[in-house]
Amino acid sequence: MQKYRLAAVAIFIAMLAAFPCLEPEVYYLSFMFSVFMYVVLASSWNFIGGYAGYLSFGHAAFFGIGAFATAKVASMFELTPLMTILASIPAGALAALVGLIVGYPCLKIRGPYFSVVTICFAFVVELTVKNIEFLGGAEGIYLKFMDIPEKLSRSIMYEVMLLLMVVTLGVAWWLNRSRLGAGLRAIRSDEEVAETMAIPTAKIKIQAFILSAFFPGVAGGLFAYYLTYIHADVVFNISISILIVLMAMFGGGGTWLGPIIGAVILTVVNEGLSTFAQAEIARIIYGALFIVVTIFMPNGIIDFFRKKGSG
Amino acid sequence: MDAVLIIQSLISGIMMGMVYALLSVGFSLTWGVMHVIHISHAAFGLLGAYLAYSLLQYFGVDPVVSAAVSVPLLFLVACGVYQLLIRPITRAKEVIVASMILTFGLAIILENVMVLIWKADPRVLTPTYASGALIVGPFYFQYPHLVGFGLSLVGITAIYLFLKKTYTGMAVRAAWQQPEAAQLYGVNLYRISMITFALAVSTAGAGGISLALLNSFEPHSHNLWLIYLFLVVIVGGVGNVIGTALAGLIIGVITGLAMAFLPYQWVNLVTFGLLMVFLIFRPHGLFRQGV
Repeated sequence: MQKYRLAAVAIFIAMLAAFPCLEPEVYYLSFMFSVFMYVVLASSWNFIGGYAGYLSFGHAAFFGIGAFATAKVASMFELTPLMTILASIPAGALAALVGLIVGYPCLKIRGPYFSVVTICFAFVVELTVKNIEFLGGAEGIYLKFMDIPEKLSRSIMYEVMLLLMVVTLGVAWWLNRSRLGAGLRAIRSDEEVAETMAIPTAKIKIQAFILSAFFPGVAGGLFAYYLTYIHADVVFNISISILIVLMAMFGGGGTWLGPIIGAVILTVVNEGLSTFAQAEIARIIYGALFIVVTIFMPNGIIDFFRKKGSG
Repeated sequence: MDAVLIIQSLISGIMMGMVYALLSVGFSLTWGVMHVIHISHAAFGLLGAYLAYSLLQYFGVDPVVSAAVSVPLLFLVACGVYQLLIRPITRAKEVIVASMILTFGLAIILENVMVLIWKADPRVLTPTYASGALIVGPFYFQYPHLVGFGLSLVGITAIYLFLKKTYTGMAVRAAWQQPEAAQLYGVNLYRISMITFALAVSTAGAGGISLALLNSFEPHSHNLWLIYLFLVVIVGGVGNVIGTALAGLIIGVITGLAMAFLPYQWVNLVTFGLLMVFLIFRPHGLFRQGV
């Protein structure tokens, strides 16, 4: 059974990877790029937010740090396209390092207080970047994109983001069945009890937080290069932080599949609404969607269907 | 720096702080009593401000008078919102998370409805006395600021007296401190929750009008207001009315002084940095004791 499932996943990934060979419109490539990106963001947020129940509302900070680090390095040393893409990995490591430094004091705070401290953290990072000229300041940073036909370059970025998504989901898959994941779930259900059971709560929270900062950092780096121009208002936007949380919780936090489903549905809905309706009306429908889903599926879509399935 | 500037910015900080306090007190109550983090709280405040704006624009009604109309109106609306939306989610596994997602959706709806009705341009409340000012020695107070401050002071005092002196108010406090015991003594938790929620939303309306007397506003202003709500409530301690009032004043004074002495773009950085440090060292607020 396990083998078949793995084969099915492999075939599905291969199909996704082969999609650019069909020569689709650039629009679809960009759209899929953002779907992959949000799956990466929501899934990695899930490590700390879903499994451990520590709802970080500042994850855009890691995304933005990765984006600005990559853009700064690429524009300063005039990196080649390949090097710029690779530079997003150390940028992700930088985001993880910031995660370690910030996570150490912040993860001692529980519940909504943790959420608020992460919001503040995201603001502090954003305002620092905006106020310091060297880091991009109020102007932002321009990047030079690949000097090849648009369709080809977009296809390359599509594949790179797909790769990042596969790696992230691989890690998420591992986490789901590892001791780390079990420990985090224990923290979520009762931290005191987890501590008494000799689970090193402080250590594993930090580990999960670092992991959940790293992937958004890399994604931010790729996004910066993809956009070729980044500004603090765009990558640090609090609505990105909120959207990440909503995607994961919408699908079902603390599960492997939940954030994937949430990210895909919300990205598709967002895109669909913005194409077919007037902006304000689209936002109103979008808002109503949150209300309806929370009322009828208060514990996420996954939970809802699991209960349906089990009778 | 000269003393006049310091005192002037201190006083305007206190005025601002009182307004923050009125805007936040309801947020603190819904969070403390019902475990509902009401993300659209500030959006309801903004709705109050827009109602005051329209009443002033088309009927010449003074903002303070319009508060007497919009506060009860918001109370009724909030009762409906509670019955229709909030009550169903109180059976979720994690009420706080569910309430945040749901009211986030509500905030989006309210914001965009306001864009549709009032357009996205910034607005100011300009009552007849808008350009007047009270001058005491070297100090200078604009009348709208004084009125906003007064309205907030009255609002906070009213809430405080309600919780301390009335039977319903005591039931709200009981529900906050000991929900099970309160229920045993015949307190209907659903009814108390509805009253708390509706009261919170109507104070948000009054707070929104006060803030609109001090600052300009636009449909997405509620996002920034919300950040200040969190700030004030966390510093004051969730569910604590006096704490919220004091925290509002403290934060008002800090931002007031920061605005006077720092370049504008550093003000928010200082505020959020301070809050972050504060949360790390005193996560449960400055003041121990509750409501």
